[in-house]
Amino acid sequence: MSTVITMPQQGLTEESSVIAEWYVKEGDAVSVGTPLFAIETGKATFDVESEAAGTVLGIFAAEGDDVPIKAPVCVIGEPGEAFERPAGAAPAAAPTAPEAEKKPVVEAAPAATSAPAKSNAEEGVFASPRAKAAAERAGVDWHNATPTGAEGRVMERDIAALAANRGRTTIAAKEAAAEGEEEFEIVKNSGIRKVIAQNMHDSLAGMAQLSMTAYFDATELFAFRAKVKAMGEKLGYPNISINDMILFAVSRTVLDHPLFNAHFSEKETKIFHRVHLGVATNTERGLMVPTLFNADLKSLNMISREAKALSAACRENTIKPDQLTGGTITVTNLGNNDISSFTPVINPPQTAIIGVCSPEYRVRPGKDGEIEMYRAMGISLTFDHRAVDGAPAAAFLHDFCQRLENFSLLLAE
Amino acid sequence: MSKEQFYDPQQIFSEKDIHFEDIPVFSYQKTAKEQFESGRFTKEDLLTIWRDMRYIREFENMLLSVRTKKNFNGVEYMYTGPAHLYIGEEAAAVGEAFSLRPEDFVFGSHRSHGEVLAKGLSAIEKLPEEELKKRIEGVFNGRILNIVKEHCSETDTKKLAVKFFLYGLIAELFGRETGLSKGLGNSMHLFFVPFGIYPNNAIVGGSGPISAGGALFKKVNKEEGIVVCNIGDGSIGCGPVYESMNFSAMDQYNTLWEEGFKGNLPIIFNIMDNGYAMGGRTNGETMAYHNVARLGAGVAVNQMHAERINGMNPLAVVDAYDRKLPLVKSGEGPVLLDVVTYRYSGHSPSDQNAYRSREEIEAWQKIDSIQTFKAELLEAGIAAEEDFAALEAEVTGNIEEAFLLAVDETISPRMNFEKEPDAIEKYMFSNEKIAKMADREPDVLGPKEENSRWKKIQKKAHYAFKEDGTPVPASTVYSYRDAIFEPIFDKFYEDPTLISYGEDVREWGGAFGVYTGMYESIPFHRLFNSPISEATIVSSGVGYAMLGGRCVIELMYADFMGRAGDEIFNQLAKWQGMTAGQIKMPVVLRISVGALYGAQHSQDWTSLAAHVPGLKVVFPATPYDAKGMMTAALNGTDPVLFFESQRLYGKGDEFKTVPAESYEIEIGEPDIKRAGSDITILTVGATLYSAMKAAKELEEKYDISAEIIDARSLVPFNYEKVVESVKKTGKIVLASDACARGSHLNDVARNITELCFNYLDAPPVLIGAQNWITPCAELEKEFFPQAQWILDAIDQKIMPLGISKPAHNFTPVEQIRREKKGV
Repeated sequence: MSTVITMPQQGLTEESSVIAEWYVKEGDAVSVGTPLFAIETGKATFDVESEAAGTVLGIFAAEGDDVPIKAPVCVIGEPGEAFERPAGAAPAAAPTAPEAEKKPVVEAAPAATSAPAKSNAEEGVFASPRAKAAAERAGVDWHNATPTGAEGRVMERDIAALAANRGRTTIAAKEAAAEGEEEFEIVKNSGIRKVIAQNMHDSLAGMAQLSMTAYFDATELFAFRAKVKAMGEKLGYPNISINDMILFAVSRTVLDHPLFNAHFSEKETKIFHRVHLGVATNTERGLMVPTLFNADLKSLNMISREAKALSAACRENTIKPDQLTGGTITVTNLGNNDISSFTPVINPPQTAIIGVCSPEYRVRPGKDGEIEMYRAMGISLTFDHRAVDGAPAAAFLHDFCQRLENFSLLLAE
Repeated sequence: MSKEQFYDPQQIFSEKDIHFEDIPVFSYQKTAKEQFESGRFTKEDLLTIWRDMRYIREFENMLLSVRTKKNFNGVEYMYTGPAHLYIGEEAAAVGEAFSLRPEDFVFGSHRSHGEVLAKGLSAIEKLPEEELKKRIEGVFNGRILNIVKEHCSETDTKKLAVKFFLYGLIAELFGRETGLSKGLGNSMHLFFVPFGIYPNNAIVGGSGPISAGGALFKKVNKEEGIVVCNIGDGSIGCGPVYESMNFSAMDQYNTLWEEGFKGNLPIIFNIMDNGYAMGGRTNGETMAYHNVARLGAGVAVNQMHAERINGMNPLAVVDAYDRKLPLVKSGEGPVLLDVVTYRYSGHSPSDQNAYRSREEIEAWQKIDSIQTFKAELLEAGIAAEEDFAALEAEVTGNIEEAFLLAVDETISPRMNFEKEPDAIEKYMFSNEKIAKMADREPDVLGPKEENSRWKKIQKKAHYAFKEDGTPVPASTVYSYRDAIFEPIFDKFYEDPTLISYGEDVREWGGAFGVYTGMYESIPFHRLFNSPISEATIVSSGVGYAMLGGRCVIELMYADFMGRAGDEIFNQLAKWQGMTAGQIKMPVVLRISVGALYGAQHSQDWTSLAAHVPGLKVVFPATPYDAKGMMTAALNGTDPVLFFESQRLYGKGDEFKTVPAESYEIEIGEPDIKRAGSDITILTVGATLYSAMKAAKELEEKYDISAEIIDARSLVPFNYEKVVESVKKTGKIVLASDACARGSHLNDVARNITELCFNYLDAPPVLIGAQNWITPCAELEKEFFPQAQWILDAIDQKIMPLGISKPAHNFTPVEQIRREKKGV
């Protein structure tokens, strides 16, 4: 009984998704959970996994095709099993498995030139005992090796090739392998990289972005952070980070500067009454910006918890498309990397993005003419000059910095 | 030389009749009284005859009792082995043994307890006391004798010997380690050389050719004594029995063999004619001869002096032996005696006697030899009741005593495999090195150095290539053929017992010229043409070696092994084991593997040989190996099946220079013929050369370095080198010309899989000939493994080479299809 894999609906609203990449081809054996293909939504790409074990019998859409939700994308079943190719489906992109092996055994002795059958193909990939032992020694997973043995078997040499790619071989082996090696490698852009590329380019090409940086006295923030560290857990509060406090401060400041909590288009400016915070998150796959909705209504405690959950969902790739849209202003933080100032790129159609720089020590004149050293942090604000001018932006930044310097007062609200 | 016997058509086609002499039937009509009065027998002789018959009857009654009632004389014992009893036939055995000397040897059948007992008792009677003592003390370092001595108070050597013999026999039947063959011979394979008792044989007629070989040994080595072949009337239906009769009477013994060696083989074919071949009545149902004695006239001009003898009367049988023994000893044999007798008990305990009536059995019981002979002696006044009573007490007492000792597990244990795991294993091969089986000067016709072939060989190039790399011409290269000739020729000058025979081995030099020129130096009695009797070629070799000689015998084609199946697999392979190492079997059986001659002349049957325990099996592929391995085989004491390839006879050594001097290659050691690192190819026989070709192509076209190992031996086989190689390469192809199904290499592949599993990078792949008939020469490339097949197997089963047009399909689908079809 074959299983038809249809285009899933990852979010609530999309009507179709684009096939970003195929991971399998017709004839490949798959099990439940094997990634089949990646789809691209507006903000990110998602892997679609197989729901059935068997062989990929038919593939109905090619990379780049925009496939309606619930439309068949591919079919999994027993080798040789009949299935219906939907009308208008794209012909198989990958070469099909040799037909010869699926034919019933003929009575007459086949000519010696008949194509070799790959009997193991339907049962998945196998590795020789020697290859398995070699993989264990090299510390690599033999499943990642490209089989070159008969019947699709992974052999020792395939493990050697895998280990060499991973840089786990001896220096001598590496040097030997380096001879004749290419000077560069071409890595195909992943779906998410394509999405980011498009978004960033659109952002800079379509807006008049301007950045300004101001420093604020972070003494209070760090004092608060010290309290959290010392007592937070005991009292049942989450591990509230500096970033969480900044998110909280944004949610409590931006509504007083409504043009920075807005979507701008040529025709109009959409000013939001609630703060939906975009929280820029770095993942292995690339930058993602989940949305912390209604941040202005949430306590610092809640914001901290939700920000952590969103960032975890991004890293684990369980984030839903709906959580990746709808932000009204974004906060991005490079503070972990000794960054003094930068020019964050706005997530269109938002009008501003707040960049958090690294903490540093600064000096100022103190009492009695002494030089006073204090803990400071830089905030880099990028704003869309089309939507708002420099003076209001400076005012917003100044206000924001003041509130951060008096963080405890914010909590009084 | 047979050339001197002009085959004259004028004489051949002259008109004449063939005359036969009348065949005497029951010519003996004397009474015991007459014989006693004439002085032929003393009272003691006659009573001993009666006693020995009584021993046989009591012995068999005991066995019948424990076999069917699980009890003898009130002692429980469960005997489950065979019981082909002698009850009713006692006179035939005792009459035969009466005149035989200890140096006369008897061979038997599955029903031979009577003959064994009679011959043993006869030998005890006739051996000088000191000699008898020496002989029985020598058996297994006195172990059996000591048991008897410990439990019986007998001091008289002869009486002690009787007890020793009875106990050893019963213990042997019951499978005890204290038996005459450590319990490895049992009922149907009894054997006791010290008393001249050579094997009984569970194969009907099996003793025919073995006995002939024994007689050949006595004749060639001028040993005292004759051989008696005790086989049944049913065995006359077996081809090898006819073969062995003819072999014993070949014309060449008188026409061609040298002075001093003239005369036929000293053998009596004593047919124990009890009227039945299992349940089939020979006279009246399954045979055509009416009387076995008729057969002699069909075998030889002397009609084998055949007679029909009354086997129910011991004196009639003695009379026959009195008259025939001198004939046989003077070379006028062989003799055929049709000794008519009858067994009262069934063929075996499972016999329902459905094929004969109760009246018939009773009618024969009325002339029961033990009863009638006793009555005759009483009536003639030769012996009195008290004489018989004393003997009766001796017989029953001795049998019971021996029985009680034999059933006692403490006194007579079976082999203990916990204490001695190699209890049987150690007897499978004798593994000795004995350069010559006797010390005398070998009979030759002249010095080795004068032999034309020998001289030619000295001048030959011992390596296939000249210094510039070009091949040495076939006529001047030291060939595989020379490499087999040389060690055999040398051995003729070393071991005086060595003989060699087979079809056309003398003037022709063997069908493939291996022996060319040998006849110039070796006399007929050591090198002769045999009849086309493969069974007898092999089994006479078995008999020859069993008596202490060494022989090289030959089957012209491996395909003819079928004609000698029993002889190779049941006789040659088994006797060292079944006698618990009491005999050696220095037989080299040369077997030529054919090619180009189609289905019945081109089969590699090494695998059949390798299957049966007890045979060493070798198949050298180069002159160097052939010479070294033949030398090893000839110096050894085990049966070696020495396979040779007809593809190779003319080949020089392409791997190394063959030393001029003698050397041995240990049997069982494979040889790396080409070192490599990526894949191992193990070959048997001539397939080595296909593998070398494949290795060259692998290197040049695919940059794959193949290591080639020539198995050289199939049994025994040292896996160490192969394991080492496979651990290195992780891949192995096994190839030989044997048909793939059941090829011994499947066994090797299985062992390698077990021994190297974690090192394998692909399954071991076997390449054999197709499971077809061998087609004509022009189509052989479709049948026998070719170099390309090796590449195809690697491509399809190990690692794709990208071969677009394979010559052979090794795919799983095809493999399953072929197996499903049985082809």
